[in-house]
Amino acid sequence: MVAHGIEIRVDTEVCMGSGNCLFWAPGSFDLDDDGRSYVLDPEVTDEERLVVVAGGCPVGAISLWRDGRRLDTGAP
Amino acid sequence: MTTTEVRGTTTDDAGASDVVIPFDPYELQDTVAGDVRDPFPIMAELLAASPVHVGQIDLGAGASESFGPIEPVTVMGFDECVQVLRDNETFSSQIYEGVIGMVMGRTILQMDEPEHRVQRALVSPAFRSKMLERWEEGLVRTVVNELIDGFADRGHADLVKEVTFNFPVQVIARILGLPRRDYPKFQRWAVEITSVATNWDRGVAASEALRDYFAGVLAERRAEPDDDLITELVNVEVDGQRLTDEEIYSFLRLLLPAGVETTYRASGSLLYGLLTHPTQLDAVRADRSLIPQAFEEAIRWEPPVTVILRRATRDTELAGVTIPEGADVALLLGAANHDARKYENPDEFDMFRAVRQHVGFGFGVHVCLGMHLARMETRVAVDTLLDRLPDLRLDPEPGQDLHIRGLAFRSPVALPVSFQVG
Ligand code: HEM
Ligand code: SF4
Repeated sequence: MVAHGIEIRVDTEVCMGSGNCLFWAPGSFDLDDDGRSYVLDPEVTDEERLVVVAGGCPVGAISLWRDGRRLDTGAP
Repeated sequence: MTTTEVRGTTTDDAGASDVVIPFDPYELQDTVAGDVRDPFPIMAELLAASPVHVGQIDLGAGASESFGPIEPVTVMGFDECVQVLRDNETFSSQIYEGVIGMVMGRTILQMDEPEHRVQRALVSPAFRSKMLERWEEGLVRTVVNELIDGFADRGHADLVKEVTFNFPVQVIARILGLPRRDYPKFQRWAVEITSVATNWDRGVAASEALRDYFAGVLAERRAEPDDDLITELVNVEVDGQRLTDEEIYSFLRLLLPAGVETTYRASGSLLYGLLTHPTQLDAVRADRSLIPQAFEEAIRWEPPVTVILRRATRDTELAGVTIPEGADVALLLGAANHDARKYENPDEFDMFRAVRQHVGFGFGVHVCLGMHLARMETRVAVDTLLDRLPDLRLDPEPGQDLHIRGLAFRSPVALPVSFQVG
């Protein structure tokens, strides 16, 4: 897999602990003991999948960034 | 046909009645969902006209009569559903206090923030994927294997009646730690409470019976903790908060319509999608790690819960449409999941499609609590079926009309299959 250089940001104030991100990208996310998501390694998940994960966060807590710019993840 | 015999009528198995009533839970539930075959073309037409509609709409079952002075609103667009579900201040879940609240009791489903967040945090840990792993092999796979044992040497079966209808309730019963002898009555109450819309008195009686029944189980677990969900709910504590007994009874009752009915229908629609698309079935057979994405596509394609509700707490606007305070807002998850602005060929079952987000599990803070359980159960069920039933294929009777049916809840009418024996 080619490195995609994406930075993942999770807004932990917004995250409600659905666990959806770690379901889709187990190597890139985990939940802490309070049920808040945190980022592991972005590079173990390919870009297409990361977009699904970010857009599929039920509360919109995940954003993807590359070279300082926010990527479009297909959800409003 | 699996017919379970239940002694007495409903609540009491201690021997109040000696009459044996033949009880077929499958027949009982069959009237619940609404007899509509394909609502998607009408939805697509309405959606193309506007993603948000004011006033009654008719999806093929007749428009329901309007009550109250405020016209109801129907949201069909994907982005618009997401917008509503993420704005839980403007769109309140209190609307569920009516029918569902009366039958299940007060649950997270009908709560708004901040109360919802606190309550949900108490029940969430038990439903995290890591906590569920321990139930995968010994519990879920065992349930599915036992069901398959019932027909494995026959060479054919109806997977709806013999597998998908039965495994979710048995999985819940075991996760709750209920004794095996209670399964038949538990399954019966589960069906009765779920179909309360068609038979109110029976649904309410089942709710009361379940409350009494759970009260007994709770007392037992307090005296003798076990490795099960009820023990976890009794012991859970977050920031000094605990669940009251009444909250536990209500939550457990909610799990029946929320967790059993839905998974039964979702797993059936997944199998239907795969069995009617042999190339995708072959792909899954060869590579089981594809089951999760096939399941997500099934829930996008045929969401078992097609509509959820909110109520506007203030005047607002959505996609240019004015929504007055107090309006009931119906979110058509099926329509949103088939929104042609988001998905190519939305009516096709295609597990390899590019866009995979969907609102089949809801969205926003009320997103399905049990989705990891539903995913795990269904993955294990499909995996076990493919292992045990070589050359599994659809095999309808001549003239048998197989299709997915329903309006509020949808799933296949039957799944007649053949397979190799031995
Ligand atoms: C494929 C199967 C399932 C589907 C399609 C499904 C669908 C949904 C949907 C659409 C909602 C949102 C309701 C709303 O916002 O008004 C929801 C909520 C919920 N689901 Fe599921 N569900 C499934 C399985 C389960 C299972 C297995 C359980 C538990 C055993 C469960 C428990 C719940 C609970 C407790 C809620 C309320 C969450 C809250 O209000 O915070 N569901 N589900
Ligand atoms: S998907 Fe979103 S809400 Fe769910 S755990 Fe991940 S960051 Fe939190």
